[in-house]
Amino acid sequence: MTAVIVKEVISDVLLGLAVVIVAGASLGVLLMRDACQKLHFVTPAALVAPVLVALAVLVQMGWYENTGETCLALFFMVIAGPYLSHATMRAIRVREKGDWRA
Amino acid sequence: MTLAFAAAAVAMLVAMIPAGIALCRGDLAVAVVAYEFISAVVVIVLALLAQAFQRSSLFELPVLLAVLMFGSGLVFVRAMERWL
Repeated sequence: MTAVIVKEVISDVLLGLAVVIVAGASLGVLLMRDACQKLHFVTPAALVAPVLVALAVLVQMGWYENTGETCLALFFMVIAGPYLSHATMRAIRVREKGDWRA
Repeated sequence: MTLAFAAAAVAMLVAMIPAGIALCRGDLAVAVVAYEFISAVVVIVLALLAQAFQRSSLFELPVLLAVLMFGSGLVFVRAMERWL
């Protein structure tokens, strides 16, 4: 009984942290001045929040099919995130300067 | 249904509103950045809803969207770089 309650509390705390991170990052996307600054706030939502959610599912379910698929989605996001951020920054620079090396 | 996961999903949908405003009001580069943000959060929301409703089959949606997010993001970025 106590173990179940502890699991639920840890899971809820992880979910709460994920929500706070997404909310803060969303405000960052709205409030920062230009696209380069806004891009920095995509990473917390694309990398940190999914890790917290995967941990919450892991705590709640243990090693189960659902946990595996959440980790798989997390894996794809972790792989794709840096490439996408780099490509976006490069495209923004090309639009502004004509060449990304300028 | 696991209430905490459903509540977190709803809270994240609400938390996306500022990014949605940035998407609607910003220029093209800002819109692409906001799109990337929103698609990343939607992956999380789908995973949360799948866990909330305890349906294993629904977990395929976030996995699929995580893969497609990469491809679609690159398409948008490349189009922005070359043609838009």
